Amino acid sequence: MKNYLFLLFIFSSIIGFSQEGFLINGVRDKNHNAHAFINATLHIDGEALINDGYLFVKEGRITYVGPKTKLPKNCVVHDVKGKHIYPSFIDLCTSYGVEKVKASPRSDYPQYNSLKKGAYSWNQTIKPEVNGIEAFKDNEKLAKEFRDIGFGTVLSHQQDGIARGTSVLANLAVNSQHENIILEKAAAHYSFKKGVSRQAYPSSLMGCIALLKQTFLDAEWYHNSNEDKQKNLSLEAFTLTQSLPQIIDVRNKYSVLRADKLGDEFNVQYTFKGSGDEYQMIADMKATNGQFIVPLNFPKPYDVEDPYDARHVSLEEMKHWELAPSNPKFLEQNQIVFALTTDGLKKKSSFLMNLRKAVKMGLSKKQALKSLTEIPAEMMGVYEELGSLTKGKQANFLITSGDIFEKGESIHQNWIRGKKHEVSAMDIVDVRGVYNLNVNQNIRTLTVSGSKEKPSGKLTYDMITDSVSVKGDLVLDSLTGKPYKIIRKQTVKVATSLNDHTIAISYQLKGGVYRLSGNVNFDSGVWDGRGQMPNGEWIEWTAIRSEKHKVKKKDNDNAIGLASGSEARGKFNYPMMAYGWDSLPVQKSILIKNAIVWTLEEQGTLETDLLIRQGKIAHIGKIADIVDANTLVIDAKGKHVSPGIIDEHSHIAIERGVNEGSSAVTAEVRIGDVVKPNDINIYRQLSGGVTASQLLHGSANPIGGQAALIKLRWGNSPEKMKVENAPGFIKFALGENVKQSNWGSYNTIRFPQTRMGVEQVFYDAFINAQEYEKKWSVYNELPKKKKQEVSPPRRDLQTEAILEILNAQRFVTCHSYVQSEINMLMHVADSMKFRLNTFTHILEGYKVADKMKAHGAGGSTFSDWWAYKFEVNDAIPHNASLLNQMGIVTAINSDDAEMGRRLNQEAAKGIKYGGMTEEEALKMVTLNPAILLHVDDRMGSIKIGKDADIVIWSDNPLSVYAKVEQTIIDGIVYYDWKRDLKMRKEIQQERLRIITKMIEEKNGGAETQKAFKKKSTVHVCGTLSDDGN
Amino acid sequence: MKNVQYIVVTLFGFCFLNFQGQEAPGVKQVKSVLLLNGTAHLGTGEVINRSAIVLEKGKIINVMNALTKTINNSDYDTVIDIKDKHVYPGFIAVNSTLGLMEIGAVRATEDFDETGTYNPNVRSIIAYNTDSKITPTIRTNGVLLAQVTPRGGVVSGSSSVVHFDAWNWEDALVKEDVGIHLNWPRFMKSSGWWSTSGDSKKSKNYIEKTKDINMFFDESLAYSKASNEGDRDLKLEAMKGLFTGNKTLFVNVSYVKEINDVINFKRKYNLKKVVIVGGYDSWMVTDRLKENNISVVIKHIHSLPNQPEDDIDLPYRLPKLLNDAGVSYCLQYFAQMEQMGTRNLPFVAGTAIAHGLTYEEGVASITMNAAKILGIDHVLGSIEVGKNATLFVSDGDALDMKTSNVVIAFIDGRMINLDNHQSRNYNKYKTKYGLE
Repeated sequence: MKNYLFLLFIFSSIIGFSQEGFLINGVRDKNHNAHAFINATLHIDGEALINDGYLFVKEGRITYVGPKTKLPKNCVVHDVKGKHIYPSFIDLCTSYGVEKVKASPRSDYPQYNSLKKGAYSWNQTIKPEVNGIEAFKDNEKLAKEFRDIGFGTVLSHQQDGIARGTSVLANLAVNSQHENIILEKAAAHYSFKKGVSRQAYPSSLMGCIALLKQTFLDAEWYHNSNEDKQKNLSLEAFTLTQSLPQIIDVRNKYSVLRADKLGDEFNVQYTFKGSGDEYQMIADMKATNGQFIVPLNFPKPYDVEDPYDARHVSLEEMKHWELAPSNPKFLEQNQIVFALTTDGLKKKSSFLMNLRKAVKMGLSKKQALKSLTEIPAEMMGVYEELGSLTKGKQANFLITSGDIFEKGESIHQNWIRGKKHEVSAMDIVDVRGVYNLNVNQNIRTLTVSGSKEKPSGKLTYDMITDSVSVKGDLVLDSLTGKPYKIIRKQTVKVATSLNDHTIAISYQLKGGVYRLSGNVNFDSGVWDGRGQMPNGEWIEWTAIRSEKHKVKKKDNDNAIGLASGSEARGKFNYPMMAYGWDSLPVQKSILIKNAIVWTLEEQGTLETDLLIRQGKIAHIGKIADIVDANTLVIDAKGKHVSPGIIDEHSHIAIERGVNEGSSAVTAEVRIGDVVKPNDINIYRQLSGGVTASQLLHGSANPIGGQAALIKLRWGNSPEKMKVENAPGFIKFALGENVKQSNWGSYNTIRFPQTRMGVEQVFYDAFINAQEYEKKWSVYNELPKKKKQEVSPPRRDLQTEAILEILNAQRFVTCHSYVQSEINMLMHVADSMKFRLNTFTHILEGYKVADKMKAHGAGGSTFSDWWAYKFEVNDAIPHNASLLNQMGIVTAINSDDAEMGRRLNQEAAKGIKYGGMTEEEALKMVTLNPAILLHVDDRMGSIKIGKDADIVIWSDNPLSVYAKVEQTIIDGIVYYDWKRDLKMRKEIQQERLRIITKMIEEKNGGAETQKAFKKKSTVHVCGTLSDDGN
Repeated sequence: MKNVQYIVVTLFGFCFLNFQGQEAPGVKQVKSVLLLNGTAHLGTGEVINRSAIVLEKGKIINVMNALTKTINNSDYDTVIDIKDKHVYPGFIAVNSTLGLMEIGAVRATEDFDETGTYNPNVRSIIAYNTDSKITPTIRTNGVLLAQVTPRGGVVSGSSSVVHFDAWNWEDALVKEDVGIHLNWPRFMKSSGWWSTSGDSKKSKNYIEKTKDINMFFDESLAYSKASNEGDRDLKLEAMKGLFTGNKTLFVNVSYVKEINDVINFKRKYNLKKVVIVGGYDSWMVTDRLKENNISVVIKHIHSLPNQPEDDIDLPYRLPKLLNDAGVSYCLQYFAQMEQMGTRNLPFVAGTAIAHGLTYEEGVASITMNAAKILGIDHVLGSIEVGKNATLFVSDGDALDMKTSNVVIAFIDGRMINLDNHQSRNYNKYKTKYGLE
């Protein structure tokens, strides 16, 4: 299908090229635009090179490429000896010529439905029906910008929304659009960004991902179902465009993995439009098997001269500044297929500079050329047409002054479809230098600088004066001691305009304006001509060059960030930021000697040894000898060892939005899709003895998203952080947050706005899930034959997640405060025949502890929070104790990255309020959350066979004075206070090294950016939508 | 010894009978009380392992070492043996909004943020709610005093110091209008929300805003020098005390460049007493702070570092850094959930001890150091002869949540009820479930 379509497009484009059927105003033009370029260095493609080669073009196509041969008749011959010819570049990520979409105006209330008129998707950000070609108009100004940096062809799409529709592949010649268009539907484009849509859903990254997934299912169902269904042009287009190359624009390396995972589910291999940070996880990038389109938008050095301000540039930003130019090199080294794009560059003109920087950093020139020509052409399936200097292909090529990947060389001409576009004059003469300008016998010094193409000048001269009011170097009269002459200080600008062999100069002196016009004698560096004085008198003038132009430092390597070379680059860190690892830690056998071990099992707390092997607790009890030389032995005399802390309720390490609070039920969204492994709070929690955190969706809606249980395996990829085979959880919420009580007058129309409505949301969702199950089981139970006649029901991710709850395949943790609603939800669960696993927060749990006990729910509460809103006014700090006394499995959680690293102290409050024993208190943050999370078979206590997730403390872990010395997960030491102290110094040194380098580059003339960012990351409206844009 | 035990029992019986309603203020002290054998943390940095402390008519009239002095129990009306227990001066919550906010999300209960930019004349004391349900839960942990502080605007208003055992705000008053509170403009702004921290961004109007403040102080200074009868300006009048030294200027400021500007500002206006509140970066300019006699009310130390590369324990260690540099400082609990959270102030001091302070330095950081900064150290902040009998006894170490258990507390010699609605609620439901 794909190939067929593609051939059709090619065919039509070739036929269409001669503009049959157009009105001819005048006589027929039989000019075949035949040109011959001779004696050039021909870069056929990344591999082949022909010196002193000949290239012929006719009617927009290449007719000959090769060594010296007989010239065709009737052609224009260009002798381009010494010049290089390359295929023109192709950029696959642009919005060239495509109209931008405008956002609809803000309304008084949230917008819950699509405002797009027509039979399209329910969601405004799903618009696969948009075709770039339909909104495509030439834009000569922009086209020239692209041509001037070597591009002949661009792929252009409307860069807005999650499903963005198709792109158009077009040449950039000054031609009619009819001639320029190569493929009208070249590729289909996607992203995880909502764009300008103001529709509430989706408001988070996980919402964007879920929406794209659901769209796949909907489109599949729509395509296959023979039910009587409503028209949906978006779903039709979604299916239709699946045959095109699929390109997804992602914001960072983690989203590459997210997109790849999603693609795998639906048998789609995306091409990733990356962000330039791929080098940080290059092995994971490689493992996607995907192709990449990467930008060259390398960050500018920061202004770091002020040591105070410099603190606001993170090490992560510093390292990225240093390593980003090496990204293409790392992609090449790892044999990842990638194209380069101008996308993300503030100024297109910096493209060549950055390209050369990448080459300087180790990207091979071969690869660079391929990534700009052959690879993008292959990606679009048009390598038969474009992407190399090959006979029969479109005549898209560049003539350059030399090796285009070397600095100082320039593009002279960009030929597209056989049509010449001049970029810079091929034989421009450098007139810059220092001249003695003789005008009417007055000799002054004229310094001509600026660019070769646009020189400008300054005039310097002496002046006799008796006034000290004029600034300058004074020469004093030796007799009178009074100044009589001023030297060289008054310089006036000279406007120079250079046009081939003529030159015009004008400048202003005291007497008025002098205007000169003359000829340039290139070889001798002599100008001469006539001019007019301020008084109108015509005079003769000459300028004789005394010195040639010197290349200033600014043009040097410094300015493009090569001052310190590539050798001094810093180490890679995992993650690439402060406190990241130089290399990931490995599992070892560990023997902890003489520690006070809190097993939280029958053995109780005892002074003994602890052996860890293969990530598990292997032995508890005195061990006489060291097991083997590879065992790490820790003498923990006087120290305490506890199970790792498990935080039942955390929101760390989540990217772009904790809440998909845009509707009452969002069971389809998954925190597991958006785990962010480079959140510094992971490391900080480790320093507080936390080994596992349940990452929960927020509490903005009654049925929120699915949770993710992670171990804090700092430095690893998102998938490796997740606890293997952890039972699924989902967040529910009740009370003020879900009824939007404290969200201002804007958020007052979403159902529910009362606790009464909250109950109905639950019943509606569960009854719907029951019916969904029934519909499916009816279908599934059909006899085989019958099944083929009937189409399957529509799959709904949201309902499926809710159904899992009913089938005890997914557990609920419910944000809850007041007794009435807790009671209500237990009634809902009882009548729907499922068990509520955990009430989280559960501040009035003590009022319904008997009912919770009867229902079988657990509680995960705050130690002592209350009074922050009306519904927590009856909360008591004895809550955990009372629930515990009632025999309810009770945990204490943080819900807060700061408190998360002091959970041991929060647990200790259980002793103070309500008189827990110390072991009971410690269980609140270890074994009990493990039980609530259904992972107590492997986590939560120190027992032979369980995961070696443990903490070594300086003191009793329940004491405010206890500090974490080591945190171990799966037998791997992830936090060590001694290593932490060492790293602090290393971080400072690394920062200083990079700061020095940045300052060097700045002094070398490089453009910089402020230490404080000009624009901050957009996080709209807190709880409601963290960031869907 | 039996005699003493007996006295203790009667005393508690007596207290119980005399508490009228819920947390009614204590009865005026008429008789003398001897607290015997407790470990006394004086607040001054000193400790007496077996102490004898005598309270009479609301004052501390004697502080002795029971090991070296002969104590005659019969000299006192009441003797309380507090052997193995700890006694501390009442902890002081500096920069607090206790009594000005009851329920965070309910706007109607909020009384600390007046509209407008310059409000030196608005006074927190008259809005201070002695009947707050929160305060009893705070004093249960030994926090017995607070600087009730307005927030918002550029000059937020005037703060006063209160104690927590009063029928009304007049009773509660320890020192009226001690400080004027200034929110120094911010050099940069941080974006982000809740779980997602954002970038810092340079604030556009820093210079303009500081000029504006200078102008207001110029006007205030001019006004303070003139006689303004018939032409009174309430705002400028409220500022007078800053120039005479009657009032302290509390400046909320965090970043080092801003701190430097505040130091220069103090010099420019020759302000007598300036205190920096927050001061995340104060450790970088300790010499200047000392030279200019500026104290620091350290940002709530149970907070995350500002930058990913900052030492992970930097907030925890800040007290130690200032302590060692010789800068005058105290701790506070201004953060999210500050009102109800103030009961954890002692544990904040505990954290500072875990991260470098000695134990007695830790005690001082929420007692004597705070009293000095508030200018009430002549009457409060330590267990010293002549000071108000505002102190408490804890079964165990009051700075560690594991052991903290306040059993007796006095405010101006009045023994206060340590019960609160939360413990009553707890008991109510324990009874319902037949627990215990």
